[in-house]
Amino acid sequence: MPGMTELGASALAFRGVTAGYKGRTVLHGVDFGIAEGEFVSLIGPNGSGKSTLLKTATGLLKASEGSVEVFGREVSSLKPRERASLIGVVPQKLDSPMAFTVGEIVMLGRNLRGRWTGLEGRDYDSVEKAMIYTNVFDMKERRFNELSAGEQQRTALAMALAQEPRIIMLDESIAHLDINHSQEVLRILMNINREERITVLLVSHDLNLAAQVAGRLMLVQQGRLVKNGSPEEVMQSDLLSRVYDCELRVRRDPFSGNPVVSGALDEMLRRPAVRKRLHVICGGGSGIELFRRLSIEGFEVTSGVLNRLDSDAEAARALDIPCVLEQPFSAVGDEAFRQAAAMVSQADGVVIGPVPIGPGNLVNLRLAAEALAAGKPVWIASGLDKRDYTPGKEAAEMSAKLRNAGATEWKGIQELTALLNRAWPESQR
Amino acid sequence: MIVQGSPVNRRRALLLAAAIPALLGLSLLLGPSGVGLPDTSSISGRAIIDLRLGRFVMGMLIGAALSTSGTVFQAILRNPLAEPYVLGVSGGAGLGAALSILVGGGILGAAGLPVTAFFFAVVTLFAVYAIAGQGGGMPSVYSLILSGVIVSAICSSVIMFLVSTANVEGMHTVMWWMLGNLQPSSWGDQFVALLFIASASVALWLLAPALNVLTLGREMAHYQGLNAGTVTVSSLLLATLLAATAVSMGGMIGFVGLIVPHVMRAIFGPDHRWLVPASAFGGGAFLVLCDALARIVMAPIEIPVGVVTALAGGPFFLIVLRKRMKYAWND
Repeated sequence: MPGMTELGASALAFRGVTAGYKGRTVLHGVDFGIAEGEFVSLIGPNGSGKSTLLKTATGLLKASEGSVEVFGREVSSLKPRERASLIGVVPQKLDSPMAFTVGEIVMLGRNLRGRWTGLEGRDYDSVEKAMIYTNVFDMKERRFNELSAGEQQRTALAMALAQEPRIIMLDESIAHLDINHSQEVLRILMNINREERITVLLVSHDLNLAAQVAGRLMLVQQGRLVKNGSPEEVMQSDLLSRVYDCELRVRRDPFSGNPVVSGALDEMLRRPAVRKRLHVICGGGSGIELFRRLSIEGFEVTSGVLNRLDSDAEAARALDIPCVLEQPFSAVGDEAFRQAAAMVSQADGVVIGPVPIGPGNLVNLRLAAEALAAGKPVWIASGLDKRDYTPGKEAAEMSAKLRNAGATEWKGIQELTALLNRAWPESQR
Repeated sequence: MIVQGSPVNRRRALLLAAAIPALLGLSLLLGPSGVGLPDTSSISGRAIIDLRLGRFVMGMLIGAALSTSGTVFQAILRNPLAEPYVLGVSGGAGLGAALSILVGGGILGAAGLPVTAFFFAVVTLFAVYAIAGQGGGMPSVYSLILSGVIVSAICSSVIMFLVSTANVEGMHTVMWWMLGNLQPSSWGDQFVALLFIASASVALWLLAPALNVLTLGREMAHYQGLNAGTVTVSSLLLATLLAATAVSMGGMIGFVGLIVPHVMRAIFGPDHRWLVPASAFGGGAFLVLCDALARIVMAPIEIPVGVVTALAGGPFFLIVLRKRMKYAWND
């Protein structure tokens, strides 16, 4: 396992862990190890199972299969107090409905140790040290909820540190802090990681921040660990684009050399005012995602012929996409076809979505043929023969003709946008 | 010592402790038969003293039980609305007590009434939890309070039904008991109640550090090394025992379990190591004071103490809370 060699014993190990909630499995066979002293960041899209993984690691959630070991011991076999002296958790947001002071909150991290015997000097030392480390000592008399978000998170961190844990887990704990405060919390974390050799597991959806501070990244997607390695290995634009299902690019930061990921927003800003126009042939809901993505990519989108009340027609109306409509449940008539042909003649290209083709909408493919004849590019969703509901398999035949005449096949929106980019590089859109 | 306000709290605790002998004196001096210590040489005088002393003990016990119970419910549910009434626990205890009065719980002796009340209160608590937690998992505070209010309403309807079908004597006993009063029962009954209330309160006080951690939520409590489920269930049961004992002794006395914990929290802060004993003594003192007022305001007619707790206590506590709520709850 990466990072295990030069470092100490195993701090946290997942072996084939499957876990989840009643009737819903979230984690599927997760396997990894974290060595003592490592700084690891767990990244992944929203809902990918990061928090569930954390809950399983802390024993809050029981694994239905596999084993979770903390410093070599099965987490479910630990006594609550032993567990708290090994694992400290900083939540997303600490919520104290009662008006405890900062000092009292931090003390709670220590409270249960001296439950029957009373707290000793050592406990107070530990609390004081934690408060000094996190720079909340001066505000110990203030009430917790009067603090700023950053101060509250530092208090939560102090509470976890007062437990004197050997591994600290943070669940998106810095997500809502501004840059100044998140940097401050991260600095504290890096310090305790280096000086006290406390293992850190940071759950984050800020990829750049994670790559900046962590020695290792673990990328989860839909409850599975898809990549586990150094920031360089994980921060790959194709991998991240696939996992996050959007166009992402990774560059190197010129100052630190860290990989930095960015979305396509900066490109959108550079787009010229005159945009390419795409006519989308779709129906039955096959166009909704196309409309959305093509609009986001900066295309002007038109559509038709669609039947009124079709879900694509509704979506087009909602997104203000010009659209030629036919009566509900009727075949495309001549008048509608003429209007659509006029629309296509105004477009720069045609995209055919994964739409089922029957006798009623077969003529829509003729629109694409006319575009090809006029020298305009056409992109056709693959697998039309499986969606061909015409009696004589005319649609499949037509699709073959289109491809022979130069139409390009596409599978998945990701590929389509790549093809569009190739046809019209960003600068020309 | 880092715990904030400890010297201040110690002073305030001393004041509270000093108030109790003063209240005992007041309690012995006041009564519908006249102000002043009655003549102890006569039989009736001794009986009056005995009665007034009994009222004092009843007030202290019931007030302490209701208020401690409310404190614990508020901590566990992390909600300022929580109290034995809202969760249906008092309603259930009341139903049990009414049944015990009407049908009779003879075999259990002095403990019959509180035990039946406790049994019904626990059943009610479980029913409330079961209704609230239908989706599986731990129910949310809001669904708990909602189902508590519903179950409470059902319990009081059943009590009304029982009352309406009872004979005149039974009807009178139950109605009088329901209005809430501190008419002392036998010393034996009081001793049993003292046993229940003292042991449950002390147990809850020992759980105070755990309650402190639980106010941060069950998840955080788990991370702090608390067996959150066990502590939640055991403190809920203890708080239910307190509420049930109080209801079986004094009937439906409202307000104490809700407002005294808030005031004590505003004065002593949210640390349960201070708050649990402070609520016990504060609740007792408050109820004794209200009872003293109830006896003399319209003497020789006594008004039910529950009326006084709300009418006299309400405005006073509202003033305290307006000034000091920020020391108790966040927003």
